[in-house]
Amino acid sequence: MNAGRVHAIIAAGLANPQMLERWRQQPGLLRGYGVDPAEFDLDALWKAAGIAVKVRHNGLRGDLPLTFRLLNVTGLEIEVFASYASERRGRYSDSVGARASDFLTFLGHWLDPNRREHAILWDLTRHEWALAQLSRAAPPAPDATQFSWSELDAASVPCLRGEVTLHVMRSDPRAVAAELHERSPQLHEVALANYRFCYWRVGEEPEIQILELDELGFYLLSLVDGRNSTGELSRKLGGGSRPGRALLRAIGELAAMGILTFDAKPKESADAGSSG
Amino acid sequence: MKYLNSVVGTTHVGLAFGPGIPEFIAANDRLVDYVELPFEQLRHAPNLASIQDSIPVILHCASLSVAGFVPPSDSTLSAIAEVAERTGTPWIGEHLAFVTADALECGASDSNAPTSLTYTVCPQLSDETVRRVADNLSSLRRRFSVPLILENSPQYFVVPGSTMSMVDFLRNVLSHCDAGFLLDLTHFLISMLNTRADAVEHISLLPLERVVEIHISGLSVQSGVAWDDHATPAPPAVFDLLERVLERVRPRAVTLEYNWSSSFPRGVLQKQLNHVRDLLARQ
Repeated sequence: MNAGRVHAIIAAGLANPQMLERWRQQPGLLRGYGVDPAEFDLDALWKAAGIAVKVRHNGLRGDLPLTFRLLNVTGLEIEVFASYASERRGRYSDSVGARASDFLTFLGHWLDPNRREHAILWDLTRHEWALAQLSRAAPPAPDATQFSWSELDAASVPCLRGEVTLHVMRSDPRAVAAELHERSPQLHEVALANYRFCYWRVGEEPEIQILELDELGFYLLSLVDGRNSTGELSRKLGGGSRPGRALLRAIGELAAMGILTFDAKPKESADAGSSG
Repeated sequence: MKYLNSVVGTTHVGLAFGPGIPEFIAANDRLVDYVELPFEQLRHAPNLASIQDSIPVILHCASLSVAGFVPPSDSTLSAIAEVAERTGTPWIGEHLAFVTADALECGASDSNAPTSLTYTVCPQLSDETVRRVADNLSSLRRRFSVPLILENSPQYFVVPGSTMSMVDFLRNVLSHCDAGFLLDLTHFLISMLNTRADAVEHISLLPLERVVEIHISGLSVQSGVAWDDHATPAPPAVFDLLERVLERVRPRAVTLEYNWSSSFPRGVLQKQLNHVRDLLARQ
């Protein structure tokens, strides 16, 4: 079998693994190149394409080191990267950041949330990416304001203090990370449940805090934008325009943590509004 | 700039360049004699050459497609020659593989441009490829002021049309070409594992007297296949092979390739560098 022709076929399949699938379904295409389809182990080529793309994404290891370890430990490495290679068809972004973003986008629709190892992988990847992104320079944050939740009213406008990333997860990635640092990770011992995490960094402080929130706190933070008043937040969360005690207490607790602040003290903002 | 003082009978021990390696070298300069720099990285980021202010460089390459049927561009050849000259590398290590291949006809591709992979692939192990390697080397060596040495590829799948084993292919190539051998022990072990051959038995069949440099890295077994993995420590079997090779030959360099991850354990790197030096001292 002509070596140059064989190399051409292998290279075409490795560069664009969708070709491998076409050849699998239509072996006659390979015959058209003058070769015997039975001689080509298309499954092996598909795996090799995955490994090659994995190596091509080594630049992501800096931000996603445990994700790569998890992929290796679970045996998902080849399947994930080969499938990714099939989707990308040889076209990859230039920068590491863009490649990471593309890879996460792929994982978001490719992973099966009903598969335990897929769920853990999705959680860990988002966890590492949140930490990586928040660790980059953060804009200055306003000072925290000290007040009691009883001072809040419908006109109060909370704002986020610092940078926040919110994720709903099925596992605690910190527990996964701890296992992955072991020589023989016992991932089956990682509990699956419903978690709501807030990754939070204030200004240029180096520490990124990971807060586990209840349902109200999580969805409240997702709606805070520095424009919605407490009354509007209440409506968006399914309540009336007059915020209930539970909502006000939740806002107060988040403010006490320092993650929420107000441009002016509550009541002051209401007074300012009424004086005009 | 530092240059490798490659005295016959002396074996230098070095590291492949990667994230965290410059910092490791700065903290462990007594353990590392040189850094192996890929031409492709230097081409993309010429500032990497500044590492040669503190440590000698050996040039490694993955662009010549030595076992392929599509030659590299003249600009690539000129660039490699220029870098080789500038770094004073004692040799250029290149893969016995192909990187580029002819475009497929029959409407499989929209253009006639060759398929360029940016990584190396094990070629068809055949007489045709052996002849092609010899022809390629004959023309390539005229472009460089230093020798080319050939690195064995890992065999991940059977390349159709192959008529010989990896060991026989290497023996044939080296008997037809006046070139040194870059024996990648991990690639060799991978090829043996994937073809169900005995690595210990077959290592002695290689033309070990031609070995100039040795590579060591980790491997990973996934989906029933052994794969090269520079983020994992080399298993004991690789060091066992190293010991056997050193009983027969004294290479000029041994390179540890742990250049994929900045979080590769520094303690492991120190331990393995010391282990290699101990093995060399025993011979």
